[in-house]
Amino acid sequence: MGTENVPTSIVQFAQLDTLLNLGRANSLWPMTFGLACCAIEMMCTGGSRYDISRFGAEVFRPSPRQSDVMIVAGTINKKLELAVKTLYDQMSEPKWVIAMGNCAISGGPFKVKCNYNVVEGADKLFPVDVYIPGCPPRPEALLEGIMTLEEKITGKRRWPRVHAG
Amino acid sequence: MEIQEQTRIALAELFPAITTVDAPPVVEGGSQDEAPPRAPGVLVTDFAGCGSHLDVLCRPDQVVDVARIMDGQGFFLEAVSGVDWIDRHQLEVIYDYNRLGGDHCRVMVRTCLPRTEPVVPTISGVFPAADWHERETFDFYGIQFQGHPNPIRILLPEDADFHPLLKDFMP
Amino acid sequence: MTVPIQLRHDETFVLNLGPQHPATHGVLRVKLTMDGEYIVKAEPVLGYVHRMHEKMAEGGTFVQFMPNTARMDYLHALAYNHGYALVVEKAAGIEVPERAEYIRVITVELNRIASHLLWWAAFLLDLGGFTPLLYAFDDREKIIDLLERITGSRLTYSYMRFGGVCNDIDDEFITGTRDFIKRLRGRLPRLYHDLVTHNIILIKRIKDIGFITAEQCRRYGATGPVARGSGINYDIRKNEPYSVYPEFDFDVPVFEECDSMARYMVRLQEIEQSMRIIEQALDKLPDGPIMGKAPKMLKPEAGYYYSAVETARGSLGHRLVCDGGKNPYKLKLRSPTFSNLSLYGEVAEGMLLADALAFMGSLDLVIPEIDR
Repeated sequence: MGTENVPTSIVQFAQLDTLLNLGRANSLWPMTFGLACCAIEMMCTGGSRYDISRFGAEVFRPSPRQSDVMIVAGTINKKLELAVKTLYDQMSEPKWVIAMGNCAISGGPFKVKCNYNVVEGADKLFPVDVYIPGCPPRPEALLEGIMTLEEKITGKRRWPRVHAG
Repeated sequence: MEIQEQTRIALAELFPAITTVDAPPVVEGGSQDEAPPRAPGVLVTDFAGCGSHLDVLCRPDQVVDVARIMDGQGFFLEAVSGVDWIDRHQLEVIYDYNRLGGDHCRVMVRTCLPRTEPVVPTISGVFPAADWHERETFDFYGIQFQGHPNPIRILLPEDADFHPLLKDFMP
Repeated sequence: MTVPIQLRHDETFVLNLGPQHPATHGVLRVKLTMDGEYIVKAEPVLGYVHRMHEKMAEGGTFVQFMPNTARMDYLHALAYNHGYALVVEKAAGIEVPERAEYIRVITVELNRIASHLLWWAAFLLDLGGFTPLLYAFDDREKIIDLLERITGSRLTYSYMRFGGVCNDIDDEFITGTRDFIKRLRGRLPRLYHDLVTHNIILIKRIKDIGFITAEQCRRYGATGPVARGSGINYDIRKNEPYSVYPEFDFDVPVFEECDSMARYMVRLQEIEQSMRIIEQALDKLPDGPIMGKAPKMLKPEAGYYYSAVETARGSLGHRLVCDGGKNPYKLKLRSPTFSNLSLYGEVAEGMLLADALAFMGSLDLVIPEIDR
């Protein structure tokens, strides 16, 4: 996969960009791309205890055309990689990718010597913005990942980071 | 165990020259290779120790007859697995049969094929369950099931050119 | 129930129910040859999440495979741990102390309730009902909290070891479980049955949809709630008891109607029965060690071993072939959903597309378990 030079917008705004980014960050619509175990933790995050709706992201769109962020939750396969790449290409700009779980980051527990079928990480196929480690990561970790993505988009963190002690 | 006895007798008819015997004593520290090669036949095994009531070793061409007998006795096909005995240059196919309710009886049917040309007739005419199981065994080991209605890969990509569970496969 | 029409095989088109779809419960692709809204031929295509479990089993030692077992069917991961532990204990001749057996049963049954709750939520999500997901996940979070206390994980447990379990349960777990059972018993009639089971929309959508006869179950090897919804009284916990299941008094729900409603009712009643088992197990829980004697490096005797456990989806089998070494020579994982899905092609013929999806939901598919 080569890198493409994506042209930045010809017309740039200052304050309006900030407003647009604030709007985009607070209403990230994820695409339902639960592949394996991490999908269940993604569903738990959508449940009422870990409520992803607080962050504007409970609208899981099945169609890539309507979504902003693709949360790759699970293992990508050699058989599936073309489909994943097609879905990524179908998403319209601006788009982001969250690699959730060890399998999406690096192949996870399936990165073994006899690996013949697992793609070792979603970033082998397309650029990833946020990595959430865990097998599977807790729903709180996914929420932290969404907040990190919001910080990447707006430049400011929604809530201050809580430090232990 | 009525069903076990009934099935054993029905299966033993396929092996007329050999009468059924008890399981041979386990050799201390012995591996599969050191025991004398078993002749085709029906063995009664200890269920608590190994999980099957009967252990049938048959020739590859007898597989369909065995399946028909099991179907007649009311069993269902639970799984088809392959084993790669690379030291003996053999591929083994293990069929597991079980009963849905009633008397309980598990039967393991094994057949050995030459590793260079593993061909065995399909039992998907008797048990439609074998359709997918045999496709998977072909996918993993390259065992050809003659007469299979749809002999294409099931789990690996269709254009894969390797059989991953063979012992000499390392990507 | 729709009136069956004459399917025209010359005016068909192929619709791809692609690997990415909200209703396929994972990455399942179904090639549907359709005549309008009716399905002429349905062909599931698998392998989109094949993760080489059997090859990994041969490449590592016996204990190194334990985390893999949870990743196969992550919704009932403890039963998969249990099945694998059983086959290796059978091969190596390891005894499990009684307290460990009781803890295994309690945790496996709690996990079964969690799995059925999630199935219920996902099934109704497929049919278009979004609210039951929130109720089911609320109860499921309580179970996950209890199991997290003792196992350390929320979803993919590697809790069992050869010879027992790795962590003991404490009084807080016991009181928490009893409180949870009381709470769920109070919620089941109102939130699960009154709101959903007796709902006319659900009844119209799943009653008389997806008939699987008992003979089809036998020919395709379907087990679990799929078989019990077709009148087959087969539950490994009763027919081929393992662990300490003979000590408990519970029923096996069997329905004769063979449709999706029957499979639905089987699973909801299994939740009731699991709660009964847990209560009895908590009452009878003995003291004692939680791990039996197991050698550090397992080298079971050469031979062919099989173990079967009853998971939320059906009969899970492990066919283990040992050659006396420290790695399994061959481990075949007989996954129940693989056999359950194989009858989809035959049964979905002639169904409307929406009914075919409701039928797929009633089969309770977890695709990583099919693909292993």
